[in-house]
Amino acid sequence: MSATVRRVVLRLRNALRPSAAEPDLTREIVSHLALLEDDYVSRGMTAEEARLAAKRAFGGVALAQDLHRDARSYAWLDDLRRDLQYAARTLRKSPGFTIVAVLTLALGIGGNTTIFSLIDALLLRWLPVRDAQQIVQIVASTLPYPVVEPLANQRDIFAGVFGYSGTSLNVGPPGAVERTPGAWVSGGYYDTLGLRPIAGRLLARDDDRPDAAPAAVITDAYWRRAFGRRPDVIGRTLAVEGVTVTIVGVSPPGFTGMSVGQTADITLPVAILPRVLPEQASLLNIGNWWLRVFARPNPGVTAGQAQARLAVVWPQLVNAIPTTRTNFIKMLLATRVEITAGGTGWSFLRQRFRQPLIVLMGAVGLVLLIACANVANLLLVRAAAREREIAVRLAIGASRGRIVRQLLAESLLLSIVGGAIGVAIAAVSSRLLVGLLSAGAADAIALDLAPDRRLLGFTSLVTLGTSILFGLAPALRGTAIGLTPALKQIAGRAGSSRAAVAPALVVFQVSLSLLLMAGAGLFVRTLQNLRQLDAGFQHDGVLLVNVDGRRAGHRGAALQTFYDELIAQVEPIPGVTSVSLSKNTPLNGSRWFERVIVDGKAVQSGNESTDFNAVAPRYFETMRIPLTAGREFTPRDTAAGPAVAIVDRAFVQRYFPNQQPIGRFVSYSGARVGPMEIVGVAASTRSRGLRQDAQPTVYVPFAQWEAGGATLEARVAGSLDEVATAIRTVLRPRLPQAALRVETFSAQVDAALLQERLLATLASGFGLLALVLAAVGLYGLLASMVTRRASEIGIRMALGARRAEVLWLVLRQSVRLTSVGIVCGLIAAVVVTRSVQGMLYGLSPVDPVTLLAVSLLFVLVAALASYVPARRATTVDPLVALRCE
Amino acid sequence: MPSKETRVELLQGTLDLIVLRALSTMGPQHAYGLAARLEQVADHPLSLNQGTLYPALVRLEQKGWIKGAWQTTENNREAKYYTITRAGARALESQTERWRRLAGLVDKLLLHES
Repeated sequence: MSATVRRVVLRLRNALRPSAAEPDLTREIVSHLALLEDDYVSRGMTAEEARLAAKRAFGGVALAQDLHRDARSYAWLDDLRRDLQYAARTLRKSPGFTIVAVLTLALGIGGNTTIFSLIDALLLRWLPVRDAQQIVQIVASTLPYPVVEPLANQRDIFAGVFGYSGTSLNVGPPGAVERTPGAWVSGGYYDTLGLRPIAGRLLARDDDRPDAAPAAVITDAYWRRAFGRRPDVIGRTLAVEGVTVTIVGVSPPGFTGMSVGQTADITLPVAILPRVLPEQASLLNIGNWWLRVFARPNPGVTAGQAQARLAVVWPQLVNAIPTTRTNFIKMLLATRVEITAGGTGWSFLRQRFRQPLIVLMGAVGLVLLIACANVANLLLVRAAAREREIAVRLAIGASRGRIVRQLLAESLLLSIVGGAIGVAIAAVSSRLLVGLLSAGAADAIALDLAPDRRLLGFTSLVTLGTSILFGLAPALRGTAIGLTPALKQIAGRAGSSRAAVAPALVVFQVSLSLLLMAGAGLFVRTLQNLRQLDAGFQHDGVLLVNVDGRRAGHRGAALQTFYDELIAQVEPIPGVTSVSLSKNTPLNGSRWFERVIVDGKAVQSGNESTDFNAVAPRYFETMRIPLTAGREFTPRDTAAGPAVAIVDRAFVQRYFPNQQPIGRFVSYSGARVGPMEIVGVAASTRSRGLRQDAQPTVYVPFAQWEAGGATLEARVAGSLDEVATAIRTVLRPRLPQAALRVETFSAQVDAALLQERLLATLASGFGLLALVLAAVGLYGLLASMVTRRASEIGIRMALGARRAEVLWLVLRQSVRLTSVGIVCGLIAAVVVTRSVQGMLYGLSPVDPVTLLAVSLLFVLVAALASYVPARRATTVDPLVALRCE
Repeated sequence: MPSKETRVELLQGTLDLIVLRALSTMGPQHAYGLAARLEQVADHPLSLNQGTLYPALVRLEQKGWIKGAWQTTENNREAKYYTITRAGARALESQTERWRRLAGLVDKLLLHES
């Protein structure tokens, strides 16, 4: 085997240095002939006879050299190298053509690489752990902590099991707290993944005990960023949520946790959570389903077998969990025991972006096709110009195959250079794109975009495929020429075959780019529809601040007082017009839902529930949610006062149709207060998502609710930035343990529209690119037509054709191609856009406004693209044209 | 010129084996020496132009089975002498074994058919 490898390497090296071995071979042959001659002379031949006999015995020297070359290197590779060198020389001679072709291809390949690198990073990439393809996820949803250890005890199924949850931690001493992404993991985490520390040790099962010393593992990147890779980091402490945690080790480079896109800089064992975040200690109970559970089945156990075996032991395993909350045991028993591939980790980004990315991949693929058509067109024009050169080479005996191969080498070179530039473009643009995805997210999305084997393979394949796609047809056309007319150089007469291909390419380009523009138009209008939608609240001019008084040690009544003080502190800040506080804000991704009781009657069953929110006085004023009846909460609605509530229009429509809701009573099962009297009706808001119809909602006074964390809202007149800074200054001393985040409500709404914005922006970008390429294609075709038919136009003009007639001669061609292209594009749009129906909002996939607007745009662009060639046709000098004949 | 029937066409790949064998029994040889040896051993003249040895030599050298070095002959001519390497000796052993088995099989089949 090694002999074969050795030989392949040496042959490749020789193919790159084709004549390096020649001198030695020549010397050897000379010596061989001399030895033969010596021998013949010693047998009595004359010197001359010996020389001839030696040559005869040796056989052809040239043949031996050829055979030697074939054996020592790869002849085809050698030929390819020669073809590429020749192509490079030819391309250098026409820099204009080369630059346009390379740039076109670079944009096409770059776009494809960009989108694919995101798909690769988000959906396909294996985690950098030992044998990632073996890792599985147990149950598609999340599971509670008490189930992890019983699962890990299934030693005959799993070699290792662990639970994982990404989180955000407040790290640092009071006053210098930084929000740092982290993860809670159960003890089997690093062991199951088969990771080795690059410093210190990793977390083990003993760290995941309630009484263990708080230990943390940091990532290599965090080690570098926060500690400059200092080796004495092991044993140092971090203040995590104000609690001292010891760094015990650093995980290997490249590994940042199980959650793709969400780096976990600091990893902590779940068991110490009650000490770090006492207010969230209940997360360890069976009622909180928050951990993703991953496992590595034993060697030889497939995912299917593991699932079958786990299904058998599952009921017993669940029933053995010590707890009094039997309803959760029932829920666990009802959970579908499913084992799925987990080697690519898990990411909430996947649900959001899989479909848009696939749509965009399709779009950018079309852009590449259009780019190919453009370059093919350029090559056809070039082939027409080179007809004579090619005819001469055919005439002096070059085979057609040889010339086709050389022309293909040119295409290959173009797309290799274009591909290289495209990869460079993609390296930048994919990072910009991730930045766009991160906009509005609390923690930046971190995706590993470093090119891997799959990405390089994809780009190489695209590059190769592209060169064949745009190069083959022109190469075949270019060499299929009648020798005589070509040699006689009757310009424009021999190119009849080309005339059939080029217009088809332009029609193809126009229809594909129309399709892309139509898609882009639909996404843009969807975004507009969602932006202009009356969501029930007004988001501009509002600042949101996450405040959690529990982090400052307040509980119960003291917590309420703390929040009242915060409001009182923010109210006098100049520019602030109203301040309130609430448990949730619209579109923040959190919900509080309960089974509602209306006038003492339970009205919901099964999975039905109603959204609740706890809000302080002036909430509706601050969020500009109109009240249609009754009153807003006031400071008099205290914990001691009568229980009151405000419901929204959707709630009234559902539970009090055609009735007066004011004065009626609502409650929910497990409520701390008695039935609440409805004192007001608010407009409905789209709080869960802008696409989702408003859900019935009940608002309760913040003071009458058992407070936890909250969001403070401030409506601002004037500069949001200045007020944000002022709020930070005022609140920081009150909440020293938390990194204070002051964000605009608009950013939160924008984040909810991220998917739509991504699609609208990128699809428009690709659509515009396609439009420009199609326009260039049309222009190129008409321009070359005018050049080719210059003499014909001259004759027509000499015979008395008017300017308008000549103009029409060119425009007719443009109108014909464009209209056929538009019709084909519209048909394609009607067929294709149906597949993105689910991503649209407020319009049909065959939205007439969009399709009409796009068609008109193309007519306009076609007119612009044909204007210059048509003008040039009218300036043809009949005399010059005729003299050329 | 010998007639077509009496000339032996070398099977693909057998030349490499023959060269290895010659080098292992005769010690270092130059290309001409190898060619002379082949002609001497063959009962039938081989259809071998001496120049066709060169592809085989470069093949074996690239595989690391033989090594060439320039030296001077007894008649004070310069020539490239090829030596079999340790890897070459091992390869010769396994190739010989393979050849024997193949030849034996073919022999058996031919006997069986007749």
